[in-house]
Amino acid sequence: MALPPALGQAFRMVAAELGMRSAARLFLRELMGEGGAPLVREARDKLGREFPVLDFVAEQWLSGRAEAPLDPAGVLDALRGVTRLLVVGLEADALDVLVPRLSGVEAGLVTDAGGLDPDFRRVLANYDGLMEPVGLSELHRWAGRRSALLTFVYGTDGHAAHVSPSWLRVSGPDVRTQFRSLIGWDILGQPMTVYPRWMVETCAGDFSCLVGPAPPAPEAAAGAGQPRAPAPAREAT
Amino acid sequence: MPPSRPPRDHRPRHAPLPSSAVSAFIRPARLDALLAPWMPDAEERAFVVRCIVGEGPIHHRGASYALLCLLGLLLEELGPDEGGAPRGESLPVPIRLPPHLARGSDHDYPLAIPLAPLTRLAPEGSPKLAALVDCLTDGPPHHALANAAMVCLLDALFARAARARAGVEPA
Repeated sequence: MALPPALGQAFRMVAAELGMRSAARLFLRELMGEGGAPLVREARDKLGREFPVLDFVAEQWLSGRAEAPLDPAGVLDALRGVTRLLVVGLEADALDVLVPRLSGVEAGLVTDAGGLDPDFRRVLANYDGLMEPVGLSELHRWAGRRSALLTFVYGTDGHAAHVSPSWLRVSGPDVRTQFRSLIGWDILGQPMTVYPRWMVETCAGDFSCLVGPAPPAPEAAAGAGQPRAPAPAREAT
Repeated sequence: MPPSRPPRDHRPRHAPLPSSAVSAFIRPARLDALLAPWMPDAEERAFVVRCIVGEGPIHHRGASYALLCLLGLLLEELGPDEGGAPRGESLPVPIRLPPHLARGSDHDYPLAIPLAPLTRLAPEGSPKLAALVDCLTDGPPHHALANAAMVCLLDALFARAARARAGVEPA
């Protein structure tokens, strides 16, 4: 099977509504199913520079390295005592595993897409009322001593961290002192290898809590070195 | 003949130290331990400590840290505390939000400002006391919270002094 000609355009649209990592996994899973590692390699070659998270995930899969599992336990731990959570940035796979576990926590999603332009009504419809849209002008309504901000971190070397540009719009000096916790959830586990366009660099120290990925499962690590299909996972919706 | 000008000072002017020199001496864990009697919840304490020494201009972080540590050292000089943090009346330090966006009851910082030390300067319930509290809790959070923390430590110091005085006074 040849790579579909408008794949990049389609990926960009889907990434806007699912997030870069979630869309990358979805597309690469389909490509792996259709044409195996050669097709994934071709997609990486063609789209990787433009979509560095897709490049990163494809590299992980092609090299057989264990993918960082999305375990919300660290985030839930960081949210102890929090009653309001405001999410900045969008990653459907991560939100799918986190949001249903937010017992007693009011959750909102900042509707600033950081350069992409999703239909947030469609995005939030997936969460069945568990998350509500929050405009930048309403941020302060979510502030408080039991409030937390959370964003997705696309890899860090311990000093620099890559995040959605929305994070920089939201986490200004005024907002930082109005939220108890500033949580970064590293959903890649390693820095990206090509220039991280779509993202911006911030300091890892910006976060009061930086949650890393859980260590890979032993069976996943044992398969290192072989191109492999990803383990069955929740589909991004 | 006009008076001669003083000779121009050609020595290098004092250059501000780099931020790293300030960051190097700040130990958030030390403040965390110091404020534990007033904020038992570790997450809430971390929030307040971050606001004092992790946010705002670097010289404010260093200055607040130095003053709070000195007050803490003075407390230590007075020996082990038997009474814990004084439990007198206190007022919250508000999180300053646009009024139309404030909601709920958690728009105060977890650290409150005790009134007992301030009543030495203004009578209880007086407008003067209210003005003192307003001055100490207004402004950027790094100021307001450092002020509140200092008043907490001063409250403990006054309580120690009172206990010490009671101990040496004849019955």
